Amino acid sequence: MKQYPRGGIAEPGASLAYHTGSWRVQRPVHVHQAAPCHHACPAGEDAQAYLALVEQGAMQAAWEALVSANPLPAITGRVCPHPCESGCNRGQYDEPVSIHGIERVLGDEAIRNNWAYPVSAPAADAPTVAVIGAGPAGLSCAWHLLRRGLRVVVFESETEPGGICATAIPEYRLPAKVVSAECGRLLALDGIEFQPGQQLGRDVSLHDLKQQYAAVFIGAGAQQARPWNIDGVTPVDLHDGLAVLKEWTRVGQVPPAARVAVIGGGNTAVDLCRVFKRAGASQVMLVTHSGMPGPGVPDAMRALPRELEQAQEEGVEILAHRGVRRLVLRGEKVAGLETVHMKKLPDANGRLRRVAFEGTESLIHVDMVVPATGQDVDGTGFEELLNGQTYLSANAEGATGADRVFAGGDVTGQAGTVAAAVGQGRRAAAAIARALGKTAETPRRSEAVVAFSALNTEYFEAGKRHHGSSLPVAERGIEREVEQGLGLSEARAEAGRCLSCGNCLACDNCYTLCPDTAVLKTRAEAADGSHYVFDYEYCKGCGLCANECPTGYIQMVPEL
Amino acid sequence: MSANSTAGTPAAGVSISLAELRENQPRFQGFVGGHRACVGCGQALAARLVTEAAGPDVAVANATGCLEVFSTAWPDSAWRVPWLHSLFENAGAIASGMEAAFKARGQSTKVLAFAGDGGTFDIGFQSLSGMIERNHNVLYVCYDNEAYMNTGVQRSSSTPHAAATTTSPAGRDRLGKRHMKKDILQIVAAHHMPYAATASVAYPSDLRKKVRRAMEIEGSTFLLVHSPCPLGWRHDGAKSIEVARLAVTTGLVPIIELERGALTGSMPIREQRPVIEYLRAQGRFQHLFADTAEAREELEHIQALADYNIERYGLRGSGNDARDTEGADTVRRGGVRWA
Repeated sequence: MKQYPRGGIAEPGASLAYHTGSWRVQRPVHVHQAAPCHHACPAGEDAQAYLALVEQGAMQAAWEALVSANPLPAITGRVCPHPCESGCNRGQYDEPVSIHGIERVLGDEAIRNNWAYPVSAPAADAPTVAVIGAGPAGLSCAWHLLRRGLRVVVFESETEPGGICATAIPEYRLPAKVVSAECGRLLALDGIEFQPGQQLGRDVSLHDLKQQYAAVFIGAGAQQARPWNIDGVTPVDLHDGLAVLKEWTRVGQVPPAARVAVIGGGNTAVDLCRVFKRAGASQVMLVTHSGMPGPGVPDAMRALPRELEQAQEEGVEILAHRGVRRLVLRGEKVAGLETVHMKKLPDANGRLRRVAFEGTESLIHVDMVVPATGQDVDGTGFEELLNGQTYLSANAEGATGADRVFAGGDVTGQAGTVAAAVGQGRRAAAAIARALGKTAETPRRSEAVVAFSALNTEYFEAGKRHHGSSLPVAERGIEREVEQGLGLSEARAEAGRCLSCGNCLACDNCYTLCPDTAVLKTRAEAADGSHYVFDYEYCKGCGLCANECPTGYIQMVPEL
Repeated sequence: MSANSTAGTPAAGVSISLAELRENQPRFQGFVGGHRACVGCGQALAARLVTEAAGPDVAVANATGCLEVFSTAWPDSAWRVPWLHSLFENAGAIASGMEAAFKARGQSTKVLAFAGDGGTFDIGFQSLSGMIERNHNVLYVCYDNEAYMNTGVQRSSSTPHAAATTTSPAGRDRLGKRHMKKDILQIVAAHHMPYAATASVAYPSDLRKKVRRAMEIEGSTFLLVHSPCPLGWRHDGAKSIEVARLAVTTGLVPIIELERGALTGSMPIREQRPVIEYLRAQGRFQHLFADTAEAREELEHIQALADYNIERYGLRGSGNDARDTEGADTVRRGGVRWA
């Protein structure tokens, strides 16, 4: 050490030789945690990651991050009930981020600009997997197999890909050209072969497929009308909901009726109501056991709240918490329904059961009743796997128990939404690749989910959600899409509302507010995805940075 | 020195060592780590922010006080700019002399005077007054932690009403300090000086803007920076910013700018918080939460002081404003807020 006269002078910045880090009893660390949107997404999308890219204007990179989980964003952006937004922490601050709106913009931009799916062609001698069904589960499985270097042949009984999205979702909600464009782009990838018009059990057999291909994935969906009756009574003119929707999608017609009751609380039921309205029915009612969606409604309908709202705008009457007690028949045709108010209430043991309230019975006159209470699996071609069960049983990774046969989507009875089917397809693809010795990937360890209370909301500004416009009721018709979606600049602004839960957003708070200059800013992104490193030589462990981190990305851990 | 030495090793994901990275930071560092301030020190943070914003061409005259003591434990100095320790009472006079010397040598180096509230409100007041009266080209920064923390938390004329210190203890006869906090800003501004402003460590971008503004002014300028003291105010060091922010959002510390004695700028309060939120966060006010009529009256008294400030300076916000208490600390991806 240099010798100075006492009380004289010191070299500039000489205090850096004194390491105050030795005072510390706790240290700040960067902890990457799952944002609730990521955790809630059945397809496994990390919305937080692609929203960050959208906010920076890197739209293509955002789309690539998005399709690393879900290859069908233009479709899911339109039809998904978006549990990501229900989970979004911003919902506890003002309104959740319109994640589905941004997802849709990315999907549409990819189609418009013909962005290449981020994958390279598999080796010529790569094992080939047979995928049955070009619906969301099958397409997702095919995509994720391709990403893992495998070849895929997709068999589809219809002439067009898309499954239920192509056959039974009305044009005003999901345009056919979006479905065919997105699915078409996927199926055109080098390494995927598409065989339309090939039905399992008719054109191809499971036995042959197992012989010919390294593995088989069954994503056949649930296509068969579920038997429906009230006390054993079924009108002769009963039309199954899904069949009516398919007919509408294919030929633009529904069975003629002036007063229609649709039974069910899902999106299919709501679609049916809106289709009947468009076809000219004077009165359309939706009858459901469930309640209208809203805060504190435990048994809310599964339909999208926005769709319900629009259905009501179009004149559909929603009879929620209502059960059908009796069919009123004139001859063998339906003339009316006797309904009763019902609710799910806990019994003495706390189990929920439906209670009908005496004295609330009422008659409604209808000339058609259409049940939309779900579909069963048509097991043609894989009867021995189904083994008399309603659904094809498969574990979380899609394994059916049969050798090299996997399954996902509605056929397993576990999906229920396009996003869930996409997620099952992805997990099955990972399991197939593992079974074929193609990858040594270990399932990602699940991370803790960032709670709203872990954020420091002082650093965020309240801001209205961008809803995007929807067509006025008078302009809504058979073809034009009701939801107009977000514009590019709206999508960017909306992505800016993301609170970046559990992830560094490079706000500079820790770097700016450290009294000991113990947080250093890096030029490039640091290995942990942040832009900062802690200099533990000087960090005294005060915890200011953790307290002022807006996203909960910095946590204090005790020094041992 | 410490067992977990990392100075020479590369930082995670960074190809250079931490020591090199420290020399390649995007902001000027006139005040570095290794100083002996307590954990979570608001004054160390304030000094860092002021020095960063002032830039390299400065020379500092520092009165006796915490800042002087913890930043220069001989033979170490946390300063990377010319820095001179004066006495408790004469930072203003020393700064005046430094400025005159630079002027005589034809140098444009800006002189900064740093002092705590004791060295400004009380002991160094006459030299500060003289400096302003002669209009020396000096930015005088008072780091206001509202007591003599360096010598063990004795009351100063900056200590707010009802705060407990070792010389204004709370007990049977008194609920902390009996007198009011001295309104130093108005007193200083009454010198008809070009620029006098308040700032808070909770709003660093506002603080930086004010430092830059003062640096541009040829003549005496004064900045009063509200700087929490976890030790003296008795709160967790992690809460320094939180406490400082509450001081502003309750209205107890108005963030204002005065030019030639007239109000020219203020940070509107978008959502006024009740003063009990601020008081409850600090040990020095805990006696006010006793279940007595006197304590309840004091709480009302302090609320009235906050309301008075808001009325006096027109701090009630009207609609959302990017410069109000909620807008001024909004973060942006990539740190744009601090640019």
